[in-house]
Amino acid sequence: MSDPWIELNIGPQHPSMHGVLRLKAKLDGEIIKELEPVIGYLHRNAEKLCEMGYYCDNLVYFDRMDYVGAMNMEVGYLEAAEKILGVPPPDRAKWIRVIIAELSRIAAHLVWAGAYGLDLGMLTPFFYCFAEREKILTIFTEACGSRQETNYMSIGGVYQDFNDKIIEEIKDFLATFPKKLEEIYNLYVKNDVFLSRTKGIGVLSKEVAISYGVTGPMLRASGVEYDVRKAEPYLFYDKVNFEIPISHKGDNLARFLVRFEEMRQSLKIIKQGLEKLPEGPYFNPKAKKSMMIRMRGEGEYYARTESSKGEFGVYIVADGGVKPYRVRVRSPTFKNLSILPVLSKDVMLADMIAISGSIDLVFGEIDR
Amino acid sequence: MVDIISESIGKDNRKIILVSLENLIPFMKEMRSKGFDHLSLVTAVDRKDSIDVVYHLHSMERNEYVVVKVNTKNSVVPSVTGIWPSANWDEREQYDLVGVKFDGHPNLKRLFLPESWVGHPLRKDYDLSKVQYINMDEDGEDYVTFDAGDGW
Amino acid sequence: MKTGETGVLTTTLENALTWGRSNSLWPLTLGLACCAIEMMAIQASKLDISRFGSEIFRNSPRQSDLMIVSGTVTKKMAPRIRRVYDEMPYPKYVIAMGVCVIQGGPYARGYSVVLGVDRVVPVDVYVPGCPPTPEALTYGIITLQKKIRGETDR
Repeated sequence: MSDPWIELNIGPQHPSMHGVLRLKAKLDGEIIKELEPVIGYLHRNAEKLCEMGYYCDNLVYFDRMDYVGAMNMEVGYLEAAEKILGVPPPDRAKWIRVIIAELSRIAAHLVWAGAYGLDLGMLTPFFYCFAEREKILTIFTEACGSRQETNYMSIGGVYQDFNDKIIEEIKDFLATFPKKLEEIYNLYVKNDVFLSRTKGIGVLSKEVAISYGVTGPMLRASGVEYDVRKAEPYLFYDKVNFEIPISHKGDNLARFLVRFEEMRQSLKIIKQGLEKLPEGPYFNPKAKKSMMIRMRGEGEYYARTESSKGEFGVYIVADGGVKPYRVRVRSPTFKNLSILPVLSKDVMLADMIAISGSIDLVFGEIDR
Repeated sequence: MVDIISESIGKDNRKIILVSLENLIPFMKEMRSKGFDHLSLVTAVDRKDSIDVVYHLHSMERNEYVVVKVNTKNSVVPSVTGIWPSANWDEREQYDLVGVKFDGHPNLKRLFLPESWVGHPLRKDYDLSKVQYINMDEDGEDYVTFDAGDGW
Repeated sequence: MKTGETGVLTTTLENALTWGRSNSLWPLTLGLACCAIEMMAIQASKLDISRFGSEIFRNSPRQSDLMIVSGTVTKKMAPRIRRVYDEMPYPKYVIAMGVCVIQGGPYARGYSVVLGVDRVVPVDVYVPGCPPTPEALTYGIITLQKKIRGETDR
């Protein structure tokens, strides 16, 4: 070895790697000179299994991709699969999806915030975030019986209709959550340690972000106003009023602030969704539950949706059979992680942890 | 203006442009200069006798999506990593799973599976019944074995 | 255990040891996939696992005696899990959390998933579910405590 640097292996079993990321770092003292992420420790062959399953079965693999915000994954897959099969969901199902997907986005951001606090040595916010997340999961349990990997939506609608109790619970949540959110927010932004570890650290410029395919809150924190919900509205996102929070700083703190503002916007969307929720069927009669396996799809479709991490794309190639020919997933975290070697060049080792935490890594989605 | 083979509109209302293999790099450079700054996705689809490589290009400013397709018989495609850095990991993933060799890629190694894995799983002729096992040697490097007693 | 009239507690050394051991399980944070989030949830408020004496999740295998394998075990990860398990001091226990860990779950038909973590490390308690609810995992931990104390449910 000609270079005088120390080689350090971090992960795959490491407290702040958010799962199974492994990093090969070369250090000069405490400064990172080179960083190489090694991934694939959670490669669960979802794309291959999608080719082996019926259209309606494949939803389970999507639930388990971004497992903290599973509803957004279901929306992403169904956007593509329903177009391929030609069974659009009725209006009520679409509004239910909007409401549930936004709740799921809040849950995902709360998990991120709690875990990010743990990365930076703060234990208290973790309890606050998870307490609020439990309330959202209670709503999910009421809606479909499952907490996390819900499998709530299905081709042509949703599995179960909203009853009065769920709507009541969501309204309760909307009433109590904003105050709690401010409480959690203050735990972070009034903490000097948190500020000094995030402000000005890991600055990502607009051009670099776009050229590496970074999307989602990370891109918006770098000053690009790009949100698929606005750019190419799916479901009923064109009928609700909300803003895209952006920041021009591009550092860790900006990503934190953008995610918190997104939660506030999600609350706005849920509120409007509840007001506009129409009466009617929640399931397309064409897609009778028992008939679904025999449905055949033709052509190819690329659907992009905004998950809690960024642009989530599902590309389905169909050949007229009962199973898809090829399914390809554009996972936002996969692209966002590829920026880590660029961001952590010549930074302190401890700052690299703060940067990798701010990316919001979920390995089910990166490795698939 | 680089020649294209055909142009059509897909089911998702996106323009699909089919280009020939030798025109791919000049065409992509032209697209980049037209403002398509975001390469969203690189997909390889195994068509049994040939492989389609599909590029989803996106322009952040104009919010425009274009799909570029290229077909290869011998599974070699020129790499576009020099034009968009985001192609780097995507091409490595497609090399790993489908087995497309991206000519000119700076670091064409497998991304998910160990380097010595036999075959490319997303190929249609990949044999799932031949189970491969992985174990780790003393240096922490993976190796692949067909012996169930030697790995997991 | 017998309580005498004088207020003195007599027991065997063995019983005292297992009682202490079962009530201070220190789990290792081996979060692999989806189940890891539910494993985090049992530490958090509402489902607080510290009521049952295993609140201290350790990050180092050297300091922990319970490995909760939470999430799909892939073939690439299996040798690492084995190494982490080997680094833990005796006595050590393993809980397999979720169907992926028990037999491969929804990914069993694929090419890169180990069909059960019991092929890699010996398992004491299996907690089924995809993912198991935190309550189920809590029950699994209590079952393990009973197992350590030598009690049976029958």
